[in-house]
Amino acid sequence: MNISLNWLREFVDWTGTPEELATLLTRTGLEVGTIATRGADFPKVVIAQILEATQHPNADRLSVCRVDDGSGHPRQIVCGAKNFKVGDKVPLALPGAVLPGDFKIKVGKLRGVESEGMLCSAKELSLAADADGLLILPADAPVGQPIATLFPPETAFEIEITPNRPDWLSHVGIAREVAAFTSQPLKWTRPAAPQTTERDGRIGDLERCPFYTLQRISGVKVSQSPDWLRQRLESVGLRSINNVVDVTNFVMLEIGQPLHAFDAAKVNGDIQVRLAGEGEKFLALDGREYTLNADDLVIADSNRALALAGVMGGEESGVTETTTEILLESAIFQTSGVRRTGRRLDLHSDSSYRFERGIDPAGVLAASARATQLILELAGGTIVGSVEVSGKEPQAPAPVALRQGKVNALLGLELTADEIASALSGLGLTAQEVFETSTTWGIPSHRLDLTREVDLVEEVARVVGIDRIPSRVSANPAEPTKADASYDFQIRLRGRLAGLGLSEARTSTLVSPASVWSEAEAIKLKNPLGEDQSFLRSSLIPGLLAAVERNLRYGAASVALFEIGRTFHAKGREESPTLAIALTGQSRASSWRDGAAKAFDWWNLKGIIATLVPTELEWKKADAQGDLALVSTVSANGKALGLIGQLSPAAARKLDARESVLVAEIDLAALQSIPASPVYREIPKYPATTRDIAIVVPATLPYGEIEKTLQAAREALLVDIEPFDVFSDATGAKLPADRKSVAISLTFRAPERTLNSDEVTASVSRLRDKLKADLGAEFRE
Amino acid sequence: MEAEIASLQAAALAEIETVGDRSSLDAFKVKYLGKQGEITKLSEGMRHVAKEDRPRFGKALNELRQSVTSRVEEREQALASQADAAALSRVDISLPGIPAEQGALHPLTHLLDRAVRIFRRLGFAVAEGPDIEDEWHCFDALNTPPDHPARNEQDTFYLPDGRLLRTHTSTVQIRVMENQAPPVRIIAPGAAYRRDEVDATHLAQFTQMEGLYVDRNVSVADLKGTTEYFFRQLFGSETEVRFRPHFFPFTEPSYEIDIRAKSLGGKWMELAGCGMVDPAVFEAICQKRGDRAFDPDVVSGFAFGFGLDRLAMNLAQVPDIRMLVENDLRFLKQFSAL
Repeated sequence: MNISLNWLREFVDWTGTPEELATLLTRTGLEVGTIATRGADFPKVVIAQILEATQHPNADRLSVCRVDDGSGHPRQIVCGAKNFKVGDKVPLALPGAVLPGDFKIKVGKLRGVESEGMLCSAKELSLAADADGLLILPADAPVGQPIATLFPPETAFEIEITPNRPDWLSHVGIAREVAAFTSQPLKWTRPAAPQTTERDGRIGDLERCPFYTLQRISGVKVSQSPDWLRQRLESVGLRSINNVVDVTNFVMLEIGQPLHAFDAAKVNGDIQVRLAGEGEKFLALDGREYTLNADDLVIADSNRALALAGVMGGEESGVTETTTEILLESAIFQTSGVRRTGRRLDLHSDSSYRFERGIDPAGVLAASARATQLILELAGGTIVGSVEVSGKEPQAPAPVALRQGKVNALLGLELTADEIASALSGLGLTAQEVFETSTTWGIPSHRLDLTREVDLVEEVARVVGIDRIPSRVSANPAEPTKADASYDFQIRLRGRLAGLGLSEARTSTLVSPASVWSEAEAIKLKNPLGEDQSFLRSSLIPGLLAAVERNLRYGAASVALFEIGRTFHAKGREESPTLAIALTGQSRASSWRDGAAKAFDWWNLKGIIATLVPTELEWKKADAQGDLALVSTVSANGKALGLIGQLSPAAARKLDARESVLVAEIDLAALQSIPASPVYREIPKYPATTRDIAIVVPATLPYGEIEKTLQAAREALLVDIEPFDVFSDATGAKLPADRKSVAISLTFRAPERTLNSDEVTASVSRLRDKLKADLGAEFRE
Repeated sequence: MEAEIASLQAAALAEIETVGDRSSLDAFKVKYLGKQGEITKLSEGMRHVAKEDRPRFGKALNELRQSVTSRVEEREQALASQADAAALSRVDISLPGIPAEQGALHPLTHLLDRAVRIFRRLGFAVAEGPDIEDEWHCFDALNTPPDHPARNEQDTFYLPDGRLLRTHTSTVQIRVMENQAPPVRIIAPGAAYRRDEVDATHLAQFTQMEGLYVDRNVSVADLKGTTEYFFRQLFGSETEVRFRPHFFPFTEPSYEIDIRAKSLGGKWMELAGCGMVDPAVFEAICQKRGDRAFDPDVVSGFAFGFGLDRLAMNLAQVPDIRMLVENDLRFLKQFSAL
């Protein structure tokens, strides 16, 4: 909402600067956005008339003028402009004036000739962005008067008003607050209620419209509004329409009650307040036709809807140049009903904005009286009868009891009863019953928000100001929570992954259908912003792959990303903390020492997962899945942890990847549940013995089978099996093409003694026999 | 015999001086000390020496062997240290180091973790709640009227079953109070969602941190002291903190917190919302719990919440909020040193 400082000053004295007012308003709870200033507010710049102009004796481009500044003693001014003639009226900055840019005017000599001030251009007074020569004023401008009489200064504040304070939606409302916070009197009294007559049967739904009033005025002459009215409206950004419509808007901005004027000639029969028919059409004054339903309240005559109650008038019944008789409506419409209609039709107005938030019940008749008086003044005409009222003026808010102890306990203060009373009285509350420890407060009709004790505590806090409240900080032990444990687990995991060279990504929870493995198992939004954000992610991998693609397109040579976040599932646990990893490109950069770069491969990723998990892992090949051509599940102690996979070459190429793209996804709840065992295990006292074997097996035999076979031999002394070379030759030159050679290092150890060579040799020999028998392995010697 | 010993010793000690490398030294050892070496051969001559002379010759031979052996050892050491020195002199320490691969934590994670650590110093525990919420936890229990604009499908993401994506982490306040009696001191970092079109300063999904402290005698003074402590710890002790009266349905009185700090560019920045928990929230909790553990006449509390994205953006001087979710490594790696 926009508030004009000049308008505000009609209701409360304010001598400070606009900025100081903004600070005050902020302290009351109003949020001030921009402050826009117009006009020329320079105390020592006056309207002057040029009496004489002569050529400067020492400068071709300067003139020496004698000007009348209204003092009776003409002044001599040196001037560089050429666009004036003798007799013109121009702005004169007197010595002591300060122009924009902190430009101070002094008496001085210009090329040897004294100048007692400066004649000004529009630009020098910030009245225009650019100017050519002096600002020539109208011939009837009053000489000697401040320039502000021609260019009245105007400051407008853009104010954001919280939904709990509809009483702030007017100039009187803001003035009331300024008055309370500056201990100034409010220079406004509510117009006396006019004569009324009861009019029954007009309102069809008393809940949606508890109070409705109409004043008939005949013989009005609709025309342009006078300057003062136009200026008032324009100063807060409203367009002037005609004197009658302008008055309704003016009164709304002055005291907060929206009004509407109907052209009585266009009303057929009696005005009714009723719910719309299902599918009823309504042509609003924005020129659009709306289709209503039975939840929309309308003001109607016997034929049709004339207005959407509290939201917008109709195109056909509005006041125009030809109108001579009007019906002036002032009413209260239920907040939630107006909100529903406005939202459903996406139709919002200054009127609905106020009705949605709540209307001062005492303002309905006051506003009607005020607007009637102004219309009679500006458009003539006479009142026909008295104000017809239907329904009942809602009661003022009920009194609220406030305990002094509650105020101090909640605010952390030691206020006296008097301090509390003075804070609330200043806001217009009245002490009705005073007890020893509490007081019952009468609530003014405009404060619909004050219904509970805590509401009054807040008022005291606002008036007293938070600066008066001391700061207190205390520490207390907190019971550890499960969330603490998972936070700690995850933050450590993040640190470890970063230490392993991976960077942390954060991708969107909302993803496209293409990013969901299975739509049936994913959760879809009812009202997404777009198709590409219509699902909750069921996996972190698609998001990470998008990040991989983005980085590759930027030319990244190495991409190693991880993300820890929630995934969402229609089946099973709905929200799961999840870790995902994506790797592609260089795992090691080329260097003078190591030669060519090495690319990430399956085993890098497998190694990372193994490093993260403090226990033995079981890997199991799984079926290809979507773009993942190679997939292995990983589990620990028989519990599934997740999977790792490699993108099919075609899918990798789609991401612009030149190397393998590896991904992993791990269920963090499962990972966290693996007990890390920080328990001492004995460090071996006796040396180990290592023997290498090299076997030739079918090229398709997985290494895992070899290791399993070795383990199945249950050699007591065998403690470690580590492959150190895998060799095959597609040409068949060194090895048949369908065979591969695997070199394995076997480590033997006994916990209680040093091994002797013979027992190790015997064990190796048994292992060789088993490999030969079970796998048909041959040995390379 | 003695003359032979003496001449062999002289020859050996003279020869060893000429030995300049490891292999000549090995050859020297074979020639003199080996099984068929000169000294061994001479020892074999002992058989022809008279019995009474044997100890004398034996001793002389021993001395010979020892003196040669010790010279050999000296020579070995000298050669080894020469070789070591030569090897080290070839190490070019001016070549560039081989960088260890270092990843980076997301700037939001850094900020979030700093915030968590500060609140933990005051004894706040971490709490969490689901992203998918029901209207009761997101709005009703937080004293938000049924026709409040925030519940609009324009502003809030809904699921077909009527549930929604939480619009703030304040839902966690409710989740915690349902399950835990006072005192409650928690912080809840997490995602929240609003149906905003994404631009340079808005994301449809953002990260918030919520805080709640409920106990007997909690007042605005605690709210003020705690939030001031937090922001000064986070942004520096010179940080100015300003409280502006505001309105939230779930707190009363309510404030917005503005911060001015050098680390945030020295301009006032609207940063957080806070206030004293509204009695209506406590009443909703009591009703749900079926007890009076949160009787607003017995306990009071404060709550606060702030967005981390814009804060991280300002702290790191990131010009566009979308960079936080683009995951460009050139961006992320800038934060590896944090």
